[in-house]
Amino acid sequence: MSSPPRGLSAHAAPLRLAGVTCRHGRLTAVDRVDLDLAPGEHLAITGTNGSGKSTLLRAILGLHRETSGLIEVGGARAGGTADWARRRSEVAWVPQRQTAGRFPLLLSELLASGGHVERSVRAAGELGVGDLLDRPLGTLSGGQLQRAYLARALGQVAAGAGLVLADEPTAALDFAGQEQVAAVLAELPVTVVVVTHDRAMVEACGRVAEMAAGRLREIA
Amino acid sequence: MNSLGVLLDIPSVRLALVALVLGSVALPIVGVFIVGLDIMPVRFAMMHVALLGIAIGLLTGLDPLLCALVLCGLTGGALTPLARSATGLSGAMGLLMTLAVAAALLVLSLSGVNANGAFELLWGSILATRPADVLALAVLAVVVPLLYVLRRRDLALLLHDRELALCSGVAVERLTLILLVVVAVAIASAIRLTGALLVDALTLLPALAARRVGRSLPAMIRWSVIFGLVFNVGGFFISLILDFPPGPTLVLLGGVCTLLLHALPAVSAPRRKAISR
Repeated sequence: MSSPPRGLSAHAAPLRLAGVTCRHGRLTAVDRVDLDLAPGEHLAITGTNGSGKSTLLRAILGLHRETSGLIEVGGARAGGTADWARRRSEVAWVPQRQTAGRFPLLLSELLASGGHVERSVRAAGELGVGDLLDRPLGTLSGGQLQRAYLARALGQVAAGAGLVLADEPTAALDFAGQEQVAAVLAELPVTVVVVTHDRAMVEACGRVAEMAAGRLREIA
Repeated sequence: MNSLGVLLDIPSVRLALVALVLGSVALPIVGVFIVGLDIMPVRFAMMHVALLGIAIGLLTGLDPLLCALVLCGLTGGALTPLARSATGLSGAMGLLMTLAVAAALLVLSLSGVNANGAFELLWGSILATRPADVLALAVLAVVVPLLYVLRRRDLALLLHDRELALCSGVAVERLTLILLVVVAVAIASAIRLTGALLVDALTLLPALAARRVGRSLPAMIRWSVIFGLVFNVGGFFISLILDFPPGPTLVLLGGVCTLLLHALPAVSAPRRKAISR
């Protein structure tokens, strides 16, 4: 679906990548990737492990340092520290490996970090983790953590984020959970890039691209 | 066995007690930062940098502790870029330690001063605490809890996961700089109390014990201060009563209590079994 069913959010941000290359030392993880997403478009990226999908998402957030090329979110490039801080406030992120962290953090604290506490907590309830607010993340299962990070991302969207980057958000979920999360992401009235191996998630996106050896190729 | 009341009438004993109480407020919180940032090698390197600062103080005639504080603070700030990666800090610490000790030995040799004065601080002497040391600890006892209160949310996120903090609007570089400077200055300040080799008693042991019972950053901060007071003040009283050297007594009490806490079953609510959903 190129147009979200609820209508486009005023915050929905276009994404433009031109010649984006990311390296891990001598290894080229992402190789000259070009991409244009209009506001509100949903893109699924598939591909084998190690093909550069996660690195590409991290580069958009400025979390991968060895990156070159043009990355624009909402028509703006990021250069200095303030630019990157603004970029990260405009982009909601569901990381691939939601770590329990090296230090205790309560689920309620994670949800509050999304910027719109009320929406995040409501989303946590809708996703079935609303009764775990006082639990440290280290005591949650992989599936519960994924739902928690998705709830946080929904709070970020409510706080004004116009782009959602979700990295395998259903990897630890059962079939029912996968369908629920796919439906939640499909309903988002902002631009979405989701890295996934999940067929339901792919079918819910208007555009599909495949990544192989660092190159991105649109297939649908 | 000594009479505690008589001993507490001695000014140096009272000053040491005040220093320990003040240190027990700030230093365990610093220990929580050290554990959370996973920068344990940094505090060890800072002990060596403090030695270099003391050597510079002896050479120049300036206050050795002040020189150690300033040099540790500057070094802590300079380490900030290395904290971007998980291995950046630990990898560089061996180099820093070696260079600091070599430079300290060279400075001491060139200055012709008695090196024993500098090396005595490796062992510390709590009963030799000076009003200036107490003042430094008093400043830390205000600054460190204030930093926690003002930056509680940011600290919780940074200590949990650096990238999550970055994506939550935390000024990670600036906060890391502040934390490294605070850690460095705190280590330099604590050296007088137990000596560089035993400074962990004041910082790490209460934090490690608190980690066992605290389920969140606020809980860990509270427990670390409680454990700090129990270990340090309790250890000090035991050393006075039994006429033991204070530094090792504090460390052994803190170490044994921390070990017991980790050996015993968790005292917090039993974890519900995580169920994949």
